[in-house]
Amino acid sequence: ILDDPDLKDIDPTVLKHCHAAAATCILEAGKQKADISAISTCLEDCKLDKERIEQFCTEYQGRELVTVVSCSIGRSPLHITDVSWRLEYQIKNNQLHKTYQPSYLVTLNVESSDSGSHPDVSFSCTMEQLQDLVGKLKDAAKSLERATQM
Amino acid sequence: KLNVGVDTIQHGVEGLVYLLTESSKLMISEVDFQDSIHVLGFSDELNKSLLQLYLDNRKEIRSILGELAPRLPSYHSLEWRLDVQLASRSLRQQIKPTVTMKLHLNQSEDQSAQVLQTDPATLLHLIQQLEQALGEMKMNHCRRIVRNMK
Repeated sequence: ILDDPDLKDIDPTVLKHCHAAAATCILEAGKQKADISAISTCLEDCKLDKERIEQFCTEYQGRELVTVVSCSIGRSPLHITDVSWRLEYQIKNNQLHKTYQPSYLVTLNVESSDSGSHPDVSFSCTMEQLQDLVGKLKDAAKSLERATQM
Repeated sequence: KLNVGVDTIQHGVEGLVYLLTESSKLMISEVDFQDSIHVLGFSDELNKSLLQLYLDNRKEIRSILGELAPRLPSYHSLEWRLDVQLASRSLRQQIKPTVTMKLHLNQSEDQSAQVLQTDPATLLHLIQQLEQALGEMKMNHCRRIVRNMK
């Protein structure tokens, strides 16, 4: 905004205040999910003329991106984004030979809301344990489906 | 009581331990065990007792040795919960479904619990991927390997 040729005659401090005010207005209105009539009323009370109110409302209409960003701000536990797995068949180790045991290695890729990255959660499991895990996840999914039908 | 020096007893015990752990580790057959101890020149009765000792304790020794192998944290259980986020500091009037989970893992005697979260779409993706993993054991390739490596 500070580089815009149309605005170069205005005092930069005033410009900054205006920008901050407009941004805050949009964010607060968006946060409360205010509709156009509510905003118009509010701006009328602030003694803004009709033309300006209309312009502001038009800009406000195109705020989907702001809503998406607001929705994603906030703390949450580690968020799982993906899963990788590996199936292996153990033959022997230095303590025990002839083990002949299949096992799965599962890695859950996670994302942290605080910092950028977080080490992934990895664990091993037998086929029975993996069946238990999948069973429980399916229960959760079924319960989600039922909830959406309510 | 045995009228023998402490050192002799210690060596005797150590010898027995070595004999039993090595035999159990390699899972040698009865015949191989008998052949191996025959070299030591003990009486037939003693050889028979040793063989019996080996056969009786082999399974337990193997399971203990199994604990010593290098391991990753292993799956213990999973708890889950369905949540719907209704509002946050940055956005009101939301409907954001999430699945919150507590993954219990074991790592050599210690239990740990990790709280994780995911969205419905990722949950379905996780289920699909892990079901594919389970299916692999039933494929011909894996079956052939398990059959041939015994």
